[in-house]
Amino acid sequence: MKLMYDFFTGQLGLGAAGANITVAAVMAVIMFTVMALCAIILTWMERKVAGFMQSRYGPMYTGRFHGWAQAVADMLKILGKEDIIPAEADKGLFKFAPILVLLGSLLAWAAIPWAPDFVAADFDLGLFYIFAVSSLVVIGILMAGWASNNKWSLYGAARGAAQMISYEIPLALAVVPVVMRAGSLNPQDIVIAQQGGIWHWNINPITNPFLFIAFFMYFIASIAETNRGPFDMPETESELVAGYHTEYTGMRFAFFFLAEYANLFLVSMIAALVFLGGWWAPFPGMGWIPPALNFIIKGVLLVFLNMWVRWTLPRVRVDQLMHLCWKVMIPVSLLCVVGAGVWMMAWGQLK
Amino acid sequence: MSMSQKLVDRLRGEFGDAILAATSYRGDETVTVSRDRLLDVLGHLRDIEGCEQLSDIVGVDYPKRGERFEVNYLLRSLSNNHRLRVKVDVAEDQPVPTASRLWRSADWHEREVYDLFGVPFAGHPDLRRILCHHEFEGHALRKDYPIEQGQECSRPEHLFADEDIVRAARRASVMAAGPDALHDEVHPSDLLTVNIGPSHPATHGALRAEILLDGETILEARTEIGYIHRCFEKEAEDHTWAQVMPYTDRLNYCSAMLNNSIYAAAVEKLLGVEVTPRCQGIRVIVSELARIIDHLVCVCANLVDIGALTNYWYLYNIRESIYESLEKLCGSRLTTNYARIGGLSHDLYPEFGAEIRIKLDELMAGHTDVMKLIARNRIFLDRTVGVGAISRADALSFGFTGPCLRATGLDYDLRKAAPYSGYEQYSFEIPTGTNGDTYDRIMVRMAEMVQSRSIVLQALDKLPAGPVNLDDRAITLPPKRNVYQSIEGVMNQFKLVYEGIQVPAGEAYGFGEGANGELGFFCVSDGSGHPYRLKVRPPCFPIFSAYTHLIEGAMIPDAIATLGSLNIIAGELDR
Amino acid sequence: MIRDLVFVLLALLTVVPAFWVVFSRNIVHAGFALLFTLVGVAGFYGFLGADFLAVTQLMVYVGGVLVLVLFTVMMTHVPAVGRRRHGLDRLVPPAVFAAAVFGVLYKVITVVKWNVGEASTSPTTAEIGTQLMTNYVFPFEYVSIVLLAAMVGAAILIRERSHAGSDDAIAEEKQEARP
Repeated sequence: MKLMYDFFTGQLGLGAAGANITVAAVMAVIMFTVMALCAIILTWMERKVAGFMQSRYGPMYTGRFHGWAQAVADMLKILGKEDIIPAEADKGLFKFAPILVLLGSLLAWAAIPWAPDFVAADFDLGLFYIFAVSSLVVIGILMAGWASNNKWSLYGAARGAAQMISYEIPLALAVVPVVMRAGSLNPQDIVIAQQGGIWHWNINPITNPFLFIAFFMYFIASIAETNRGPFDMPETESELVAGYHTEYTGMRFAFFFLAEYANLFLVSMIAALVFLGGWWAPFPGMGWIPPALNFIIKGVLLVFLNMWVRWTLPRVRVDQLMHLCWKVMIPVSLLCVVGAGVWMMAWGQLK
Repeated sequence: MSMSQKLVDRLRGEFGDAILAATSYRGDETVTVSRDRLLDVLGHLRDIEGCEQLSDIVGVDYPKRGERFEVNYLLRSLSNNHRLRVKVDVAEDQPVPTASRLWRSADWHEREVYDLFGVPFAGHPDLRRILCHHEFEGHALRKDYPIEQGQECSRPEHLFADEDIVRAARRASVMAAGPDALHDEVHPSDLLTVNIGPSHPATHGALRAEILLDGETILEARTEIGYIHRCFEKEAEDHTWAQVMPYTDRLNYCSAMLNNSIYAAAVEKLLGVEVTPRCQGIRVIVSELARIIDHLVCVCANLVDIGALTNYWYLYNIRESIYESLEKLCGSRLTTNYARIGGLSHDLYPEFGAEIRIKLDELMAGHTDVMKLIARNRIFLDRTVGVGAISRADALSFGFTGPCLRATGLDYDLRKAAPYSGYEQYSFEIPTGTNGDTYDRIMVRMAEMVQSRSIVLQALDKLPAGPVNLDDRAITLPPKRNVYQSIEGVMNQFKLVYEGIQVPAGEAYGFGEGANGELGFFCVSDGSGHPYRLKVRPPCFPIFSAYTHLIEGAMIPDAIATLGSLNIIAGELDR
Repeated sequence: MIRDLVFVLLALLTVVPAFWVVFSRNIVHAGFALLFTLVGVAGFYGFLGADFLAVTQLMVYVGGVLVLVLFTVMMTHVPAVGRRRHGLDRLVPPAVFAAAVFGVLYKVITVVKWNVGEASTSPTTAEIGTQLMTNYVFPFEYVSIVLLAAMVGAAILIRERSHAGSDDAIAEEKQEARP
């Protein structure tokens, strides 16, 4: 970031403000590209993982090697589809909703530190900011469900909104002990606090068992937050047809799709940087691995875990989902916050 | 003297003149009763003689008679293991008292008779058409309704009128005052009607349930069926007995082999013949394979509806691989058309047994995997235990049979209770549940697959050598050698194909344990080569009539899980 | 120059949808338009260097309040028929009230001596935390207790209501409902 900034001020002779805006623009383009690529790769990965779980191959033909081009082909196909807007839909909102959903995840992506000092939006409130902008997704889903003028869509939207605002609470609470330990909301600081190998990572149950529990709270809540199985209430293809995006086709549907996978990778990356040491290699002597690669590998492993859960468990019922959130996860997460605090005071780990 | 004959004697003693006639033909006991004492007789049969189930109500049209219609009540006592047919004669537009207060299954069966024959039932709570469209004019199964006369009906039917919604809201308001609710008044505009089907991912066929929702809770549900009604029974009357066989494939298309075998057995019963032991053995083998396939389809689809997608792949491959063998055997996967009246279309191919043994081992592997994934899975238990539960008494009254009845804990299986096709030679168990809920229905089906596998293996071991077809030239086709080389053979073939098998006049009810329950064919012959009347008793018709009862008060996801576990196959539901 | 441009953009983002909120005949549209206004205000906080406040604004208003507003709007039934045009009787009282509020605000803005200066760019989070736990610990705890009381109160209200119906009424209605 600093390098890029210096390049623009030094080599190109831009002023401070101009350089800032240029850096932001460049980073935005990079992020969007990475995000779109990620979604495409993750779609392919989802199919292969699902195939692996279900003792079959998944795509094998497109692009010769293990159907690697299948996701690309799908994207092309989806771009060529007719864009249908239902006659009775609220057209303005209908068109805007997918953009809002995508915007929510894209904004959150900005605050992810991929490597030391490589982050699009580096500011102290990084984590807080990520959770705040994700709420745009909730509004987008509500908008989509309402604008479609379809009862199934509305049900999906209402379920989605209720689910996401509920699970935001344990999600945020699970991160609080880590913030307490690092003494900062800045993702970079949180990663730096975990320097020095796998036993310094926040997940290590010996350093602080409450952080270990918090990781699982976070992981479960993050599945719900991304609306994926077993918590895919807003979609539930066998109940609500396709939930809030029942009426969407073509490019607009692709936006929801893109957002789902962008969110999936986002929550996995946050888990990696909050609990699994971000860009640090697990063992000393592995410093030759590029930090960004470390980080991405951890993220992808968590994505795999997420997919594993999705393809193993049946779907919970909507009231059971709420029960789990309010009566189990929120109390446990609160306990984690208190417990982690006491533990840190007792062992003098507080900063 | 059989149980059923003793029952007829007791009835005569009790009702005297009201019993107009009693006949016994091919092991079926029939009593004709006078219309005004019908309910008394039926009530007596239910309460004193233990006939818990009304299996079916069959109308038959004799236009030349003074009292044109015959209405047959097929009763069955599971506890005493006897059957009885009660018959009343009615003239056109003459009402028959409704039996729907005695058995809940009578509701839909009477609607069907009303729809297809126009026989009104006095006191019926909701006498509407059921299989035909509500705009349809005339009654399709009357002999004077021409088979080629089509009608265009297109207007959809709204199952909830405004006043129904107002009434439901008022009721919900009072209920909401109970301890578990959050709000105390329900306004009619708070309620929403939603259609599940006819085109919905979870209906797996063209069914429709309109549900009235308060939030996610189903206050009231109504169903509409008949989307793929093609009046199989009318078609059958237009064909010879043998030509009906391929149509039976399309009833429950998941287990066509069972339909074939049971239909053939029903006609053989009316003919009074018994097929060769080898044919019986083969019919058992293919029937049990069909049962396994049917249960696989049901369980897999049910699990997919609950969101447990992976199980589908662990089990569904086996279905495909069994289908390969069936295809090799009879040329097609779903529409097998394998059985023949008096035998089979041809014998098994030599390596069939070895192939099936391997495939059944694969089945067990998949079965084990799926049981590991679901049997103690907390989410699965939360989603299925207690969901869509029905009591044993209700299940009997609704006419439940098969796995759905056994899930309530009643070990009643026609293969044991009234063995046919040599089932008595095989040792197998009847799996049962306890609560009659979705979990039990799934688990009963899972366990039945294992039993069916064991039956197939036993039948393969015991399969006797010998011919598969009866050596009776009035029933089975002559060997091809005779047809090609002798004039007698040609004439024999010609007469059997063009005129059909000459079934002596009479009526009989042939039945067997289908994958979903009791599958029966009520055959009436007038001595010609065509069925005079052929009534199917599809197991899922009465089961689906209980669907609204099962889901009212539950939530949308429960309704979906319940629907899957009932295994409603539109092909046999609508016929 | 760029600062002015950003300011104007943020102002437009805040004010234009605000007009939409007020004048839209479609109440759901009004709810969604509120989204932009709230985001615009968050932008202003950020613009003034109050980063914590900006993110909190997003979290609380967009993520919480707005969702509640939308839920309420969607779940309440607006009678489609009989929606009258706004007559004078509907226009005058709110206009007077709005004018009064504007007057008060204007007075406050002009009377108070504002401390004008460069916005500090240093992060405010740690400072806010320290202040809350030291100088302002009493108000902080006080507010917590008030909120807790409100929550308990809401829970009790719901429980009370649900026990209101008598068992007799239920039994009666069940009897009636039977065919």
